[in-house]
Amino acid sequence: MRYFDINLDLSEDDIALRDAARQFAEQEMRPVARQLDQMSAEEGVAEDSPLWPFLKKAYSLGYHKILLPEYYGGLGLSPLQTNIVFEELAWGSFGLALTVTVVCFPFYCICMTNNDEMIEKFVKPFCDCTDGSIRGCWAITEPEHGSDMLAVGEECFDSPNMKGNVRAKLEGEQWVLNGQKSAWVSGGTISTHAMLHVQIDPSKGFAGNGVCILPLDLQGVSKGKPLEKIGQRDLNQGEIYFDDVRIPKDYMFVDPDFYVPLLDIILAAANLCMASWSVGLSRAAFDEALNYTKERVQGGKPLIEHYTTKQRIFDMFARVETARAIARAAINLNLNISPPHVEYSLVAKTQCTEMAFKNTHDAIQILGGNGLTKEYLTEKLFRDARSTLIEDGNNETLSRHGGHILMESYPRAPLDF
Amino acid sequence: MPIFTKEVATELFGELWMKMINETEFGPKLKESNMTILFVVDEPDITMFVDANGPLFDDEAKAKVPTVSMKMNGDTVHKFWLKQIFIPKALATRQIRAKGPVGKVLQLLPLLKPGQALYPEYCKKFNLPI
Repeated sequence: MRYFDINLDLSEDDIALRDAARQFAEQEMRPVARQLDQMSAEEGVAEDSPLWPFLKKAYSLGYHKILLPEYYGGLGLSPLQTNIVFEELAWGSFGLALTVTVVCFPFYCICMTNNDEMIEKFVKPFCDCTDGSIRGCWAITEPEHGSDMLAVGEECFDSPNMKGNVRAKLEGEQWVLNGQKSAWVSGGTISTHAMLHVQIDPSKGFAGNGVCILPLDLQGVSKGKPLEKIGQRDLNQGEIYFDDVRIPKDYMFVDPDFYVPLLDIILAAANLCMASWSVGLSRAAFDEALNYTKERVQGGKPLIEHYTTKQRIFDMFARVETARAIARAAINLNLNISPPHVEYSLVAKTQCTEMAFKNTHDAIQILGGNGLTKEYLTEKLFRDARSTLIEDGNNETLSRHGGHILMESYPRAPLDF
Repeated sequence: MPIFTKEVATELFGELWMKMINETEFGPKLKESNMTILFVVDEPDITMFVDANGPLFDDEAKAKVPTVSMKMNGDTVHKFWLKQIFIPKALATRQIRAKGPVGKVLQLLPLLKPGQALYPEYCKKFNLPI
């Protein structure tokens, strides 16, 4: 179903990108996502899994490099175009949209370093990749640490009591890594590279952390089993282990000196993605519900003609539009200023995911018993939406972090340049 | 005490930008990318706008609408051109602030490299510390 865009100023390019992403979402993502959802997590990444031809197709169309600058071979999309494409892809599948985006995270961050050697070694091959064989992941959460790893401003964050599960020690010109990341690393068991958060100076708690790029074929790296979970089953997640893994000194591109403010930059970008994808998920639920209400007859007339259904459908529509407005405004701000105003990314993530969850809940309520069955998409959407309230920072932690920013930074001065 | 005066900065960067545009790959690449840049500098207060035609300063620069704006103080400008600034750290700690699509900002950094190679000779010419 085509969905109207309130923005009448979309360019021809914007519309072409939207339509292409929509077609890809409908024809490629929906069927593969449905298949993966019904397979075990291990089957989902087995050699004969439909995941691999899907990734190959996604890479050949360039969807893995949406966030990367054109200069290095990325798509070079504007902030609005990024939002539009993300929304369409997540309409097809939230889990697969996340899969084809998170693959770029290590390479996106390397672009910031402006280091020729690292760009030649990591970024350009990733941009040139058309078969899905180079895949990154964002390895931050740990068995003993989840959202608290993002909780800058909480008393615990820089306490020496916060013992990281992955430690890095400098030995000569090499970093030596030991420890384990949690089963929640998206793409964890299928990635070739990681953007890895490690603890360098335990005396500073998580404020003593750093970030490195890590090729995952190095000696000492091993991976766990793919994680079984209720939602986003089309998104591979799993543990990564490090046993005396050695990397060159310059692979550690963030050190404790500026880890905390840089973590906020990474969080702001990740939360913008979550917000945009959640709008697509909200829309998918709205589409399913609206179509059903026009077909399903109850009490002698289609559901849509019942007063309560009209009201519920309108509420769902209002959430899509509200979420889209927030997501677009936040992405337009924070992909246009550096460093970003993180609180707007947090608003977008927390609100858009809550609205997506409500919409998938309402869609099931409208479909009644049918909404609970595997025959209809709504139950998958509901399970997928439930995960969004937790991933990339649970919403409660993100809200507390937002409050901390307000305490420290408000009233914000206008941009003065 | 700022690293350079407004007069020195205007003369130095007037020459540097023109040399970059006319004699290095920066000129054609800037034109090809269709990018324009505004540098807003504190201490000394100076505003520079650069497109493929060359630099403009102060009121003429302020009247332009750039693709990317970057704000920093004079000392940071000097360190930036000497490659003594690590960009992720400078952005994270607000030593450098940028406005414009993040993708364009990331694209700008490699474009400026020919200027970073030339800058030390201008430091010698204008008696600036390296």
